[in-house]
Amino acid sequence: MDLALTDEQKVRKQEFYDICKELEKKKPPSFLGFETIYEYDEAWEYNLYCAKEFAKKGWLALGWPPEYDGKGDMMDRVLFAEARGYYGIPGVDIFGVQMLAPTLLQAASEEIKREFLPPIARGEVMWCELWSEPNAGSDLASLSATAIKKGDEYIINGQKTWNTGAHKADWGFGVFKTDPAARKHHNMTFILLDMKTPGITIRPIPYLDGHAPYCEVYLDDVHVPAKNIVGQEHEGWAVVNLLAGFERSGINEIMSMIRGLEDLVEFCNKTKRHGQPLAKDPLVRNRLAELACELEAARALAYRVADLQNRNEMSLMDASAGKIFFSELGERFAFLATDILGPYGQVKTSRWAPLDGVWERMFHEHFITTVSMGTNEIQRNIIAWYGLGLPRIR
Amino acid sequence: MDLRFTETQEILKKMARDFLTTECPKTLVRKLEQSEEGYSSEVWRKMAELGWMGLIIPEEYGGIGYTFQDLVVLLEEIGRNILPGPLIATITSTFPILEAGTEEQKKELLPKIAQGELILTTALLEGDGVFDASGVAVKATPKGDDFVIDGTKLFVEMAHVANHIICVTRTKDGTSPEKGITLFIVDSKIPGISCEVMPTTAADKLCEVRFQNVTVPKKNILSKIDEGWPIVEMMLRKGAIAKCAESLGAVETCVETTVAYSKERVQYDRPIGAFQALQHKMADMWTAMETSRYLIYEAAWMESEGLPCAKEASMAKAYINEVYKDTAKWAVRLHGAIATSDDHDIPFYYRRSKAADIAFGNTDFHREIVAQKMGLA
Repeated sequence: MDLALTDEQKVRKQEFYDICKELEKKKPPSFLGFETIYEYDEAWEYNLYCAKEFAKKGWLALGWPPEYDGKGDMMDRVLFAEARGYYGIPGVDIFGVQMLAPTLLQAASEEIKREFLPPIARGEVMWCELWSEPNAGSDLASLSATAIKKGDEYIINGQKTWNTGAHKADWGFGVFKTDPAARKHHNMTFILLDMKTPGITIRPIPYLDGHAPYCEVYLDDVHVPAKNIVGQEHEGWAVVNLLAGFERSGINEIMSMIRGLEDLVEFCNKTKRHGQPLAKDPLVRNRLAELACELEAARALAYRVADLQNRNEMSLMDASAGKIFFSELGERFAFLATDILGPYGQVKTSRWAPLDGVWERMFHEHFITTVSMGTNEIQRNIIAWYGLGLPRIR
Repeated sequence: MDLRFTETQEILKKMARDFLTTECPKTLVRKLEQSEEGYSSEVWRKMAELGWMGLIIPEEYGGIGYTFQDLVVLLEEIGRNILPGPLIATITSTFPILEAGTEEQKKELLPKIAQGELILTTALLEGDGVFDASGVAVKATPKGDDFVIDGTKLFVEMAHVANHIICVTRTKDGTSPEKGITLFIVDSKIPGISCEVMPTTAADKLCEVRFQNVTVPKKNILSKIDEGWPIVEMMLRKGAIAKCAESLGAVETCVETTVAYSKERVQYDRPIGAFQALQHKMADMWTAMETSRYLIYEAAWMESEGLPCAKEASMAKAYINEVYKDTAKWAVRLHGAIATSDDHDIPFYYRRSKAADIAFGNTDFHREIVAQKMGLA
């Protein structure tokens, strides 16, 4: 057991932290966390700016093989994610850089890799995910949108939903039924499509706090070149599973909470209640310390997942456990922080809101991690069925 | 970074698991809990042959010279199986001798500890039942070349069979409670010491130890007069991590036993493990185990490397305290009525979860340390 970083890793980690710290200073007022990039033009511009800055350093291609201009290894991805999480810096497209690129590297043809990887590495093309449908959520394999091959094209019809940032994205990747007659899990294909293609209609879905990071996407006779597929035709389910396994340590989210806790501690030290700093309140101390313990446990498990991924091993169980844990920790943190802030815990970003209103936002945003990327209940099934070997009733 | 065990650790782990399975079956655990001594001298002797008491004692003092991290691997196995007796009390009482003992004290005691010839324990708590220095009131008064100890210590693990007691005393009323604390190595068989086993949840032989005009020579002082508290803090920190490892092992057994039982027990024509109400609870138990595991390994690694880790050690202890109690509770619940029987093995773990919670500082004690270390004013 050795948790130490090598000297080279320490140097790179410092550089990641230094650059992110510089970028933090350039945050526009409307950028109040990752989800806001999809809501305000200014925040989106900031996202693109950060992407370009990272691209210059080669950091959007960390862990890629050298023949695709990759740099560093998986551990560098983790250290980079840590720095971005701590300073809350966007610019790494979760769909393009974090999900699609490693999927392409493992499952796409040489032609597709050569076409789609470079623009991702340059921070030029932003992606969205077209997976869920109104009647296919956790049970994604029961999807119904179709892509029927005609000549050298697929013609796509159907509706996708919960598509984060689809209205901002240049390209989308999705799964569509290409062989409706075939049996479940062998009837769909993983397809890449230009979001400007005629026939695509995008409508924002109001989130429960009134913001709109999500969209629904309607596809009416959308023509896509047949070459734009990843993996085998009709075997898109395997690609879906492959993609779901990437970047699951959660270190980015965890570091963002660690920073949030530091800021909250500072707030409690400065803010007086009943004539003394909030930090002196034994209940506040106990509750914040409890959360700090859980946060450190989440961080330690994230390194376990990263350590496995770095050695090309993957424990589905540990990744699922980590996801359950850090996302539910996010819920507890949001409840605790808004509680400690008292009546101010309900104030949206304004001159009355402590800490820029971040905790009022988190009171809503925590669902994004518990519900998306496989609900936590699905993650518990994964642990029970594939990890603990408990029987599954079908 | 590499979170895997070393080859040495894998060997140690396997050896410990095989040994405990053979030598310490639950029939013996049950017998020992009900016995007066609370440990088996035969198993103790065999453990000494394996070098467990001397695991972290340097070779020059007759030990094996393994790292603190290796000790954690061993204690995890001990926790999985449950091993009643003074092993942890002895090992944790060795920490202050290793860290602060004089050369003479080390040469006299460490080889005998490593050989299994001595049982040690530490007397810290008193009537207040608190782990901070304010709870230490037992007085040690200078008298010529000696000190005279007077007062009552409580919750002293296995003191009734110990050869030596590390006694934490007050030698001065200082400006703060931490000032004026002195540690003595006390031969438990000298006149004026009496011992009584307290009835406790885990039947783990915690004792009341009375010191009545007990004369101890000055050369038995560990570290410096009046400046012993940092040694106690060190012992609490290392002891907390050690206890964490033992608890983690116990949590593993709770999870594994429950999962296995749920695959066998049939109700409504199917194994109860097929029901999602139980599956999700077991997934949560497993998650709690894994989150504890790497937090504990992190603290153990830092301690092993000599890095400052008061915060991480307290985080690990505060966290596993609650995880162990909760997991053991759910292990009983998911087994159903069968595990509420004293004939079942799971209750051993449930009862010990409370003892483990208290040993080396309960949750609130460690959370307060975390609160200080995380910068709360």
